[in-house]
Amino acid sequence: MSAPSLIVVGLIAAVLLIWFIAVFNSLVALRVRVQNAWADIDVQLKRRHDLVPNLVGAVQGYLAHERSTLEAVTEARTKAVASSSETVAHRAQAESALSGALSNLFAVAEQYPQLRAVESVQLLQEQLTSTENRIAFARQFYNDEVMKFNTAQATFPRNLFAGVFGFSPTAMFVAPDAERANVQIKA
Amino acid sequence: MNSNTAAAPMIGPRDRESFFEAQRRNRRATWRLSVVSALATVVMGIPLALTITPLLYAAALIIADIVSIWIPLPPSFWQRANELARYGMAAIGWLGQSKAANPQALALGAAVLLLPGAILSVGLWLGVNALFRRAGVGGALLALKAREPNQSELKELQLADVVQEMAIAAGLPAPKIMLIDAPAANAAVIGTSPNDARIVVSRGMLEQLNRDELEGALAHLVASIGNGDLRIAFRVTSVFETCGILVAIVNAPFGRRSRGTLWRIVRYGLFEKKGSEASAQEAAAMAALLTRSAGLDTDDIDDVFDTTAKRKSIFRSIRNFLLFPFFFTNMAIKLSLWFFSFSMLEPSMALLWRKRKYLADACAVQLTRNPDGLAEALRKLNSDRGPIPGGEWAAHLFLVNPAGSDRMSDPKANAAQQQIWAQMWAASEASKTDNPSPPAPADLPSVMKEITATGSAAMAGDASATARMMAFRKAAADALGKPVDEMPNLADIAAAQHGDAAALRRLREFSEKNTTHSAASDSQETADSSSNFAGFFPSLKRRLKRLDRMGAHVELESDGGKTWIVIFALSVLLGPFGLLAVALLLLLIAIMVMSSLAFLAIWMAFIHELFVAFLHH
Repeated sequence: MSAPSLIVVGLIAAVLLIWFIAVFNSLVALRVRVQNAWADIDVQLKRRHDLVPNLVGAVQGYLAHERSTLEAVTEARTKAVASSSETVAHRAQAESALSGALSNLFAVAEQYPQLRAVESVQLLQEQLTSTENRIAFARQFYNDEVMKFNTAQATFPRNLFAGVFGFSPTAMFVAPDAERANVQIKA
Repeated sequence: MNSNTAAAPMIGPRDRESFFEAQRRNRRATWRLSVVSALATVVMGIPLALTITPLLYAAALIIADIVSIWIPLPPSFWQRANELARYGMAAIGWLGQSKAANPQALALGAAVLLLPGAILSVGLWLGVNALFRRAGVGGALLALKAREPNQSELKELQLADVVQEMAIAAGLPAPKIMLIDAPAANAAVIGTSPNDARIVVSRGMLEQLNRDELEGALAHLVASIGNGDLRIAFRVTSVFETCGILVAIVNAPFGRRSRGTLWRIVRYGLFEKKGSEASAQEAAAMAALLTRSAGLDTDDIDDVFDTTAKRKSIFRSIRNFLLFPFFFTNMAIKLSLWFFSFSMLEPSMALLWRKRKYLADACAVQLTRNPDGLAEALRKLNSDRGPIPGGEWAAHLFLVNPAGSDRMSDPKANAAQQQIWAQMWAASEASKTDNPSPPAPADLPSVMKEITATGSAAMAGDASATARMMAFRKAAADALGKPVDEMPNLADIAAAQHGDAAALRRLREFSEKNTTHSAASDSQETADSSSNFAGFFPSLKRRLKRLDRMGAHVELESDGGKTWIVIFALSVLLGPFGLLAVALLLLLIAIMVMSSLAFLAIWMAFIHELFVAFLHH
């Protein structure tokens, strides 16, 4: 082999190597983003756990006749907190039970005009609404990131070696059946 | 993917576009347009560099001449200078097509003529970048009188929450939020980079929008931060600010105002400490000054070459003689700045910025998955916009164009004003007849007509009308919370109409006291500078149309392509004239640049000969 062709081969190899490193790093970055997005959902769930006792304490005085509703919320929260070390499926179930109990509480509170007029309750309700939204948006972001990650792995030519280096498609966050049942679609 | 959009019925074939497609399309467009903008900047730089370069040579020559009074420079230095001049002359000769030149000499000549000016311009631009990057956003926030939101107030807590939600949806750290207590409904992202980005929301917007709409609007702003729009905006304004500095520099020999501006910039660059409140304010003031002074104003020059000046001293004549060639330099730079920024730079940058707005809209839809929220928010903000005091120079950073609708001509504000008048009118009637009747908003115009008619009847001397006006005056005094004596009385109005100076003065004092003092001066300023950014906003209709394609339910009235026919007809009719005007302007610029070169060359030769003849040994 002559010197020029050696140089050409070497250049091609170098370009390939650089490209390979870039692709590998981008896959790693995507995976880290997915993990990060997952952790963000956790943060928001934790925030909800912290808010619920405040809310219950604030409305307790006005909802003396609705003890069962309040107890359901407290109980659902306890279960959700306890489930944070369990499997994802288990956890999703406990969290969606808490969501259900909370929306139940809000529905009941709608019937008490004097409660809706209290400013601190309004603020708490806003915070809780926001927390529900944040959980939803954190999931949405997680799913978007998972989609990007999975697409990156599945497209040619990355699909040839993504599996070899231990990248595997990640599951999307799907709403549990119990939660889906709660959604009322307006016509 | 989303149950809501899937449930929406599709009637007939519509050109739908997913937000991912819209984002890709606008990203590509951004890329193309930023290349165009860069090219436009370079093209504008050529006449500028051609004009600035001889100035630099002149300065170098004078310095060399002064130095050689004491330390004679070696002859080889002057030889080099001669060579440079010859290369330059060769290039000019080729431009005038009087002489042929070999390519190498031509390239050298072009470099001689262009490089120093180009380097200076780029250096200025870098300096402006550094200066305003260091200044940060503090000044802008102070100028806007922005404050932190109050978390114990429901609406403001909601705002903070929505920003957090949108940041989570975008996977970004939540930006800081500031509120401005302005009645106009608008919001902006202010900053130089994502690190110091602030979302600024007017209180008026909080009052107008519900949660969904707030989400849409803030998603647009958060997405704009995430897309890196602040850096682009910073680049765009820095180009205009550099133009402003150039104008200030070429004006400096002629005008005190430009010297003041320059001195402020130098002082700021050298001595101001970072972070202090005063320095932040100074930075904002300078930015406003520079973006405004990029215009074609010749006041300073007129002051110098004022032929009607009474004082004609020998000193003035000498100064005018010395400054004469710089007048052409000045005009060449201003004309080419004005022409090229008007015809190329501003349009391309405005288009680029519009694409960024569309991109942020598409990203907002991705974040909220609710195009209706943003569409409704844009509609409301557009109908309720108005000037934001202190935000004039940052107008392009707002969600919708803050200028454009004058507060007074705004039908809503006008209606509110008329409502007050009608109420006072009704109250005055009630005090006379003891029969209170609330004003019906439907017949406001007729009430206004009645007031004017009664007023003129009273002026003409009708007794009952005068009594009616006196009652109205009392009601107005009650409404304003003032004693009746302080209100303008009919005698004064009548006297003023006949030209009584004292009465006129009293009336003027009254109206000055009662119009909100700041509003007048602020709106004046807005009108001055906001026209720069008019093209930077896509029209509401186009934004809504794009949102509609992404699934929003907006009713768009179609104009049946009539506007296109009108535009086509107009361009066919006026196109040749426009082209002629452009050609003439280009010719004028070329003449100005050439005469600036020629006069400066003569001037340099003359000054140099003076030095050689009298001062050099």
